[in-house]
Amino acid sequence: METRADNPPNGRSAGDGTKKLGKRIEKVGHTAEHVWDRTRDSVSDISNALDIQGRVQRNPYGTVAAAVGIGYVLGGGLFSPLTARIVGLGLRIGLRLAVLPMLKQEMAELVESLDDEEGKGKGASKLNVKRTRGDEP
Amino acid sequence: MEMTEKIEETAREIGERVRPQIDEAKRKLESLNTSAVSFIKENPGKCLVGAVALGYLIGKIASRRG
Repeated sequence: METRADNPPNGRSAGDGTKKLGKRIEKVGHTAEHVWDRTRDSVSDISNALDIQGRVQRNPYGTVAAAVGIGYVLGGGLFSPLTARIVGLGLRIGLRLAVLPMLKQEMAELVESLDDEEGKGKGASKLNVKRTRGDEP
Repeated sequence: MEMTEKIEETAREIGERVRPQIDEAKRKLESLNTSAVSFIKENPGKCLVGAVALGYLIGKIASRRG
């Protein structure tokens, strides 16, 4: 008696299907291996171009901070009140550091000029007093 | 004059008392810094991935609050 497995309805034997499936699996495996190789090459190319290892060796804290920043931007924190606050604080500190020495210099010059004017004014007033005294009979 | 001397002496005493603790804290901080730097240099991938993940979390929290 013939079974369904020995004589399938489409006329093909079960062995053919298994072979084809095996070939396909092999092909998929090759393709996956190829993709993995290419991805690995790309990653190594990118890491060589960015020189991550060298950067980490030269400036470890800076690199980690940059990575935290990249993660922060990826997390969507760029346009948030926290960023606005941090940027505002940074600007305020930067402006203070930049403007304070200039302001100090300006103040010193102003005080000097005021002192000079005061000295001249005192001299002039003394002269006036002498003149008025001299005019008296 | 006496008052100034007294203040100076008190300041000196406080300085002498606190100095060893400051030195100890300084030494500890230096060793912590050295170990952190060496860890980052030995495991750059782990550190960078962790830092990106940390930044991502902070960014997520910041964007949710806003």
